[in-house]
Amino acid sequence: MKTRRPVAATLAVAGYVIMIVPILFVVTTAFSSGSTLRFPPEGFSLRWFEAAVTYDPFMESLVSSLELALGATALALLLGVPATLAIHRGKLPGRGFVEGLFLSPLIVPELVVGLALYQQLMIGLGLNNVAALLVGHTALMLPYAVRVTGASLALADPAVEEAARGLGASPLRAFRTVTLPMLRPGIFSAALLGFVTSFNNVPLSLLLQDREFRTLPVTMLDYVQQSYNPRIAAMATLILAGTVMIAVIAERTVGFAKIFGGINR
Amino acid sequence: MFRKPALLMLPGLAFLLVGFLLPAVAMLLAPPGEETSAVLTRFIEMFTDPYELRIIGRTVLIGLIVTALCVVLGFPIAYLLARSTGRWGGILLVVAIFPLLLSNVVRTFGWLVLLGANGAIGRLLTATGLVDDAPQLLYTPLAIVLGLTQLFLPLALISCYSAVAQIDPGLDDAARGLGAGRTRTFWTVVVPLATPGVIIAATLVFAGSVTAYTTPYLLGGSGQRMLATQLFTYASVTVDWPAASATALIMTMLVFVVSGIASLAGRRGATS
Repeated sequence: MKTRRPVAATLAVAGYVIMIVPILFVVTTAFSSGSTLRFPPEGFSLRWFEAAVTYDPFMESLVSSLELALGATALALLLGVPATLAIHRGKLPGRGFVEGLFLSPLIVPELVVGLALYQQLMIGLGLNNVAALLVGHTALMLPYAVRVTGASLALADPAVEEAARGLGASPLRAFRTVTLPMLRPGIFSAALLGFVTSFNNVPLSLLLQDREFRTLPVTMLDYVQQSYNPRIAAMATLILAGTVMIAVIAERTVGFAKIFGGINR
Repeated sequence: MFRKPALLMLPGLAFLLVGFLLPAVAMLLAPPGEETSAVLTRFIEMFTDPYELRIIGRTVLIGLIVTALCVVLGFPIAYLLARSTGRWGGILLVVAIFPLLLSNVVRTFGWLVLLGANGAIGRLLTATGLVDDAPQLLYTPLAIVLGLTQLFLPLALISCYSAVAQIDPGLDDAARGLGAGRTRTFWTVVVPLATPGVIIAATLVFAGSVTAYTTPYLLGGSGQRMLATQLFTYASVTVDWPAASATALIMTMLVFVVSGIASLAGRRGATS
């Protein structure tokens, strides 16, 4: 494959280098025993990993990030899954328009959403920052919830639900025993995608931060402005390890490329 | 299924209205303690202010360069992966998609290690005697372009991959059987059929690049402001609401206009 298409292969290799090499450099410097963020690292040690997990601002904001991501994922599914049912099964008059509304947070730049919520909800209405963050992250995830579960629902044949109803099942029972199992892979994918999106988000979390409650990526951005040492690389490497775990879970369950690439392979 | 399934969307719609749409509109029309006209006035002023124009110009230019790079590097990867049948194709596809899951902050930190004052590239250049003093690499437009290309390449190649994967490899074989060379088959069969996917890829990358915050913040510093970093300064440092809202408006319009042009181009491509 590579020898027969030299130009394409060269460009592809360059692409992989740009995508992957910077990540490898972060990992390498995390194992340094020296005290500056440089390459090649001076010696090997795990001291910066210890420094990262015992550093309170990182650990506190890690907990905040996880709480926020879990809360926003749950809320987005609670609002998004019923909305998806309405869009696909409700025989709505303006179905395309309604779906467009639910997807709209995706097309407005995240920083703009962050500014709107900061200015209007926090400054204007005096809402506290945890509530504003929850609202913002949920709004950001709703498009995923609606689109990904919608894709599952589109594959499910409504006739099966009607058959359950015809056989005497109540609407709720038909939903619980027939529709929900068909939706499960979609809901799972949406939850995983939403969780990762929320956990990694910077623009919203940055504008809606507060000294008491800020997310891990925001704390890390702040840290690198003040100190330039391998502790930050160690924290980044730990996040990388966590992300690999999520990717493995995704691969074992629904299929990694299917969830995150929208690719059916 | 339920008697009125349509009602199930109401909680979600109410949430979107209160938690997203109304604040977004209010942000443009009525920043706290400001006249409605203040945003519009500031918006118009920005197009005559050389400082603002430089930021807008830099944002658009960097966006265009990153878009071009992502298509030029992403399409070959997508093409080779879509046409590969072996086990390696699957593994390389996962390696290419994986960074999408990984925090932007983590991905961008790598460039600090590579391009920084004690960075690998600078040390490599001085050690080999190519230059006497390591050139300033960090806090340059080049650093931002590299960082954004790394960030959005997976997105570009996924869109291209989906497009190329849909093209029947039999068409390649037919063109080759009729005497076209490998290069000619690529340009006359694969590229035209994949164009709608490439347009989607380019739109996503451009929209992402002109609105990204982390990369210009970490790699551009205060000397290489882009719209996103400037917006944050207006909102959080100088607390200049009209300027923040006007910058947000410019950024949003940039994304909308480019998406609009792309969807027109895509439609024309599909009908011709």
